[in-house]
Amino acid sequence: MEAPPVTVMPVTGGTINMMEYLLQGSVLDQSLESLLHRLRGLCDNMEPESFADHELVYLLKGQQGNPFMLRGRRSLLHPTAPWHLRYLGQPEVGDKSRHALVRNCVDVAASHSLPEFLNEMGFRMDHEFVAKGQVFRKGAMKVVVSKLLRVLATGNTENTEPLSLSYLVELSVLAPAGQDTVSEDMRSFAEQLKPLVHLEKIDPKRLM
Amino acid sequence: MCQLEASLESLHARVAHLKGSLQSFILKLENEHDRLTWPSVLDNFALLSGQLNTINKVLKNEKTPSYRSQVIIPLLLSPDRDEELVKLTEQRVPVFSHEIVPDHLRTKPDPEVEEQEKHLSAEAARIGPEVAQKQIQTLNKLCSNLLEKLNNPRDDRDSESSALRQNKPSFNPADTNALVAAVGFGKGLSKCRPPGSVPPGHPGQPTMSTGPTLQQVTIAGTTGHQAGMGGQVAQQQPGQPGKMPSSIKTNIKSASASMHPYNR
Repeated sequence: MEAPPVTVMPVTGGTINMMEYLLQGSVLDQSLESLLHRLRGLCDNMEPESFADHELVYLLKGQQGNPFMLRGRRSLLHPTAPWHLRYLGQPEVGDKSRHALVRNCVDVAASHSLPEFLNEMGFRMDHEFVAKGQVFRKGAMKVVVSKLLRVLATGNTENTEPLSLSYLVELSVLAPAGQDTVSEDMRSFAEQLKPLVHLEKIDPKRLM
Repeated sequence: MCQLEASLESLHARVAHLKGSLQSFILKLENEHDRLTWPSVLDNFALLSGQLNTINKVLKNEKTPSYRSQVIIPLLLSPDRDEELVKLTEQRVPVFSHEIVPDHLRTKPDPEVEEQEKHLSAEAARIGPEVAQKQIQTLNKLCSNLLEKLNNPRDDRDSESSALRQNKPSFNPADTNALVAAVGFGKGLSKCRPPGSVPPGHPGQPTMSTGPTLQQVTIAGTTGHQAGMGGQVAQQQPGQPGKMPSSIKTNIKSASASMHPYNR
């Protein structure tokens, strides 16, 4: 059987190629309340959703190139809910004027046998963390305010400690490729959160 | 005498205005309270306050004789209904009798009000004139400060407030970087020993003889799978179909070193 070309995206039954537009920032613990109030005012009027998720990041180390990363996420508040498997591509190196980080994004739901399945496939868990926080929505935009917690003993989500004294704030939009108006809307929303939070495009490679 | 009458007339007119506006306000509150906006409520209150002000002015007017020196004496009390009185008072006082006179013609304030007034005057007498003067001055100064701030929007107010805000930053850029790095590629999070390799490693290593056959079986199985899963497997392990034959041989040869068939 001939190997399909590597550049072909995975066959997912005819879905559109989704890109994730992302802006990130952080807020100190003591200023969290004011940020939450502001978000409640700015975002769609609904009860803010709290979440507590355990995310495991799996790496598949190839003989060449960068390791392939997959993220599996499960809810600690709803243990019977399916796992969420996500692939995030490399950030698109487009024009510098684009205000948000753009990367390819594939999301699928998975059953509870996901960790064993990934292990059988050859993935190895690289790191894990617990994220607890709230989700706000404004139209297509999603704002996630979360506290990242380090898991002290592998697999034990009861024993955690905060990673820092701040909450991570992420503004994201899932949209098909090529819609640049999205980043404009994100930027104007981010303006409204200043000076509490500075949401900006942070390239993770810069921080390696 | 005519001064008294004139002042009474004007006072009567003002009070009538006040009554009218109070009535309309109450009606509005009772009937249209769900459509009422705060600015219109404020307008009503402002109107009432203005009318009270004019009444105060009328009373303070130098042309107004002191009402305290006037006495009202009821000349005729009767239990009969008086039609003219009814008309004058808009149906509120039908009978000028012994019951209504003490209420309507009283000059003493309510007992609670009297009590409070006594309390206040005792307090005022207690603190002495100098302290009272100082308190008056402080109050005046506070009021004038507030009025000035409200009346003069200053441009340099923004720079003052931004200077204040800088003293209490609400985010730490170093924290931002740390969090983004943690979420992006696990910086600062302990890299765990791969738990997946441990279980197959244990049964594999002691039984080396069964190792190769085990691998052969699994690899055969995976080649079967390969045909079915085609693109997905290719995506996850780029270049794998081409390389698999060679790695099979390698793994069979060194079964102890690399147990997992997909180990690259």
